[in-house]
Amino acid sequence: MKTRPSRRGVVTGGVAAALSLALAACGGGTGGGATTAPSAAPSASAAVQDALAKPAELTFWTWVTGIEKTVARFQAKYPNIKVNVVNAGQSADQYTKLQTAIKAGSGAPDVAQIEYFALPQFALAKQVVNLSDYGAAALKDKFAPAAWGQVAINGGVFGIPQDTGPMAMFYRKDIFDKLKLKPPTTWAEFIDTAKKIKADNPDNFLTSIDPGDAGGVDSLIWQAGGAPFKTSGESSVSVTLATDPGVKQWVGTWNTLLSEKLVDPQPGWTDEWWKGMGSGKYAAWLTGAWAPNGIINSIPKTKGKWAVAPMPQYDAAKPMNAENGGSSVAVIPQSKNIPAAVAFAEWLNSDPEAVKSLNTEAGLFPATKALLDDPAFRDTPQEFFGGQKINQVLGDASAAVRADWQYLPFQVYANSIFKDTVGQAVDGGGDLSAALKSWQDRITAFGTEQGFTLSGG
Amino acid sequence: MTAPAVRAGLPRPFLRLRVAGYAFFLPFFVVFLVAVVAPLAYAIYLSFFQDRMIGGTVFSGLANYTRAISDALFGAGLLRVALFLVVQVPVMLLIALGCALAIDSGRLRWPSLFRITIFMPYAVPAVVSALMWGYIYGDQFGLVGQIGDALGVAAPNLMSRSWMLGSIGNMVTWEFVGYNMIILYAALRAIPEELYEAAEMDGAGAIRIAWSVKLPALRPALLVATIFSIIGSFQLFNEPNILQTLAPAVITTSYTPNMYAYSLAFNGQQINYSAAVAVVLGLVTVVVAYAVQILTARREKTL
Amino acid sequence: MTAVAGASPAAHRSSKAKRRRSPTLTVIMLVMFGYAVLPLFWLLANASKSGGDLFSTFGLWFGGDFHLFANIGETLRYNDGIFVRWFGNTVLYSVVGAGGAALLATIGGYALAKYDFPGRKLLFAVVLGGISIPGTALAVPTYLLFSRIGIVDTPWAVLIPSLCSPFGLYLMRVYAADAVPDSILESARIDGASEFRIFRTIALRLLAPGFVTVLLFALVATWNNYFLPLIVLNTPTWFPLTVGLNQWNAQANSGTSGAGDATYSLILTGSLLSIVPLIIAFLALQRFWQSGLATGSVKQ
Repeated sequence: MKTRPSRRGVVTGGVAAALSLALAACGGGTGGGATTAPSAAPSASAAVQDALAKPAELTFWTWVTGIEKTVARFQAKYPNIKVNVVNAGQSADQYTKLQTAIKAGSGAPDVAQIEYFALPQFALAKQVVNLSDYGAAALKDKFAPAAWGQVAINGGVFGIPQDTGPMAMFYRKDIFDKLKLKPPTTWAEFIDTAKKIKADNPDNFLTSIDPGDAGGVDSLIWQAGGAPFKTSGESSVSVTLATDPGVKQWVGTWNTLLSEKLVDPQPGWTDEWWKGMGSGKYAAWLTGAWAPNGIINSIPKTKGKWAVAPMPQYDAAKPMNAENGGSSVAVIPQSKNIPAAVAFAEWLNSDPEAVKSLNTEAGLFPATKALLDDPAFRDTPQEFFGGQKINQVLGDASAAVRADWQYLPFQVYANSIFKDTVGQAVDGGGDLSAALKSWQDRITAFGTEQGFTLSGG
Repeated sequence: MTAPAVRAGLPRPFLRLRVAGYAFFLPFFVVFLVAVVAPLAYAIYLSFFQDRMIGGTVFSGLANYTRAISDALFGAGLLRVALFLVVQVPVMLLIALGCALAIDSGRLRWPSLFRITIFMPYAVPAVVSALMWGYIYGDQFGLVGQIGDALGVAAPNLMSRSWMLGSIGNMVTWEFVGYNMIILYAALRAIPEELYEAAEMDGAGAIRIAWSVKLPALRPALLVATIFSIIGSFQLFNEPNILQTLAPAVITTSYTPNMYAYSLAFNGQQINYSAAVAVVLGLVTVVVAYAVQILTARREKTL
Repeated sequence: MTAVAGASPAAHRSSKAKRRRSPTLTVIMLVMFGYAVLPLFWLLANASKSGGDLFSTFGLWFGGDFHLFANIGETLRYNDGIFVRWFGNTVLYSVVGAGGAALLATIGGYALAKYDFPGRKLLFAVVLGGISIPGTALAVPTYLLFSRIGIVDTPWAVLIPSLCSPFGLYLMRVYAADAVPDSILESARIDGASEFRIFRTIALRLLAPGFVTVLLFALVATWNNYFLPLIVLNTPTWFPLTVGLNQWNAQANSGTSGAGDATYSLILTGSLLSIVPLIIAFLALQRFWQSGLATGSVKQ
């Protein structure tokens, strides 16, 4: 029995197949150069830097596959520190274990992967170390602003960004070409395109929307300029799902799409959905930059048929984008060697060799400016995508992300009850604004019960 | 057997039997204490507190219980599993009984083939069930959809609100018919032979023997199967949880009381309230299970 | 009357071989057969597909080429052969857990059925009450308690709870009540046998079919145990198959796959492989239902 993993929350991206090429082509050379750079330990804190030279053993909970290779590079460089990589479960499963171990007083790892949407919860409960005490604030400029915005909470730094999932539109070029369609650049065009696809074959849709995926809708609201969740100080929370102008913008478009049945309310990642993706029932997928791995691995026969375009915009003059998913790496206070843990977390996510390895060997979409701007990353054509240089589109998508989005300090719970409220309207074609109001009401009730001061409309 | 306690204590044989009884029961009970009672006692203790993200843990008395009793989400889930119970459990047990009698009857070809194949679904790990049932129930690319296409009719969406409970019932039945069949079959195998011989001497046919010899002898095993099916129904979790990935809008976080308790503990960090919900659910289960047991016992006496 | 050793139910049934086979009954059971096997056939067909065929060919038939053995090879090799390790763990948990659980339940059920000790009914009620509380709510308290005694993330945390089978206890109580006649126990006592000796040499033999039934159920239950190991284990090298396969599933559903493998195929093949030992166990244990130990030796 499992919770529905917030799978889209888990972000991994890049294109594994093409990536090994990229690594061979350039990774070896520049990686070698980078390791000789003097700033081996990127933090200003002397304790952290010293920790790398002393013997230590660290446990690292993560569910990113392939990250062992990046960790092995760390071990090769800092043989004094032994890192045990443990996959203790994914998302909510891991968080429950982590929180229980913290409560129990033992059994928690030194370092743990935590998704951006869950990080405020851990930060507020002081279940993760404030890394600014160890000089981590100095790393700010290395990261994409949107990624850094997710770990900088309440004046502190509670994790190091590891990967991101800037949103983009993955679409079936073969279908678009056949119907002589262009990828829509605005949401108005998106609605038109959806109508044309429907007109061509009433069984087909431009895209699907998952009634159980809160993260997906959070991201679409974020992309519409919404800011429905705000936390100020330790205990004041405002939830404005019913009144926020950005949310209303999203509701306007998606009420049309859903009520006219122009998009298919269909849970993702199921047999039915993958077959729909493979058969051309769906012509596009609005999702994070980590999507290529899933497409390549699950429907390899669609090779050459896909392409990537930027997200449709509400105001083409002021393009905005959002993240879908993404994780940070945090340090747990129970650790017996916090400086070493911090040093490891920093190296893993900011050292040039490490971030290249995370991208090429673990398949994560980068969070650092250096890699996002690296021509070797941006300009490599991807064979599966018909030779398109998709990382140019995805890199630009990353740059366009609004950095001021905030999650609730109990977003894990809020997202879990999405299906009880908004999911109902998505599935049944009901009114989204009423559904958002009922989501807000349940969030408010929960927050109040947990001792927060709730405001909002 | 409760002999009057004379001053000298119980007669030796009685004492010996008592000591032996306790001694034989002890190993099971020790494990039961560690694996079930201790966590349960701890959960009950936790249910009297409230742990808040802001403000920490406070003693809250029976507040969690009064809340659980008036919780509409919990109530709706309880009603749903009760409905499930009264429909699915009899259907499943009747099929299981039929299969057990058929396999035991000696009038069936390849009985051992049926015995293992009907039991096999119980061995399928839950993780693959989501993919498997997702395919079977799929109304477009799935089996149901393809049958609909072949017949030229629109396939029903078996994962819609109106069909869902039936679809879950089908999954549970598929999984547990063989399980219950084996319980009953093993009990049939233990029926003393003289009963058959006596019946045969009376010239009873196969159906008559099934009805007047086998069924009464199956009573205790059938009661065990019923009690455990009742407990299983109230704790319904796996199957709806699997289908939740396929129909998140239909299977809400409080679709069954057990899912609700899980969601509270795992997503909401409300371990205290979750424990209270679980205890109330357990009490309801015990009451129903006992009621069934007592009713059966009374009927047996009057018969 | 002295029963001949061969007068077991099996022999008894065959003595009535004159009984006609019933085609109607066979046809009805064939329908049940189809119902039980259809989803399993889906599993077999899809475990035999290549990753490319999985979501692009008809679901209820094999793919373009028969990929089962390639998939099995890949499943066994994936991630340095972690599947084999999980398989071994599962065997350990199941054999020790289920064997112990069946034994404890048999002794306990025998005690409840055949010994009239004070508190017997109460204990039985406590057991029923205990299992009426869903395990989901007990997960976190269990973790906290196990953490206190230091067995979290060790095999003990899975093994100890697996030893407890209240269902087995129930079944054995019912079974022992019929299968072990009081008259035998009394005559053994008159002969001066100790209670333990009576259990070991007489009762255990009579209880064998019930024991095997409980063992089979406990075996499958431990084999497919998911929730408990998920909670109390953190280290993948201790995972049983269920938790491991679920982890692969979570990977497939997140698009995470650094190694570039289609993990859906691995999950299907892994699930198929994980059923095989249970079928073997079933085939090995089923002869005990036919051996007629219960009736064959009871009558003296």
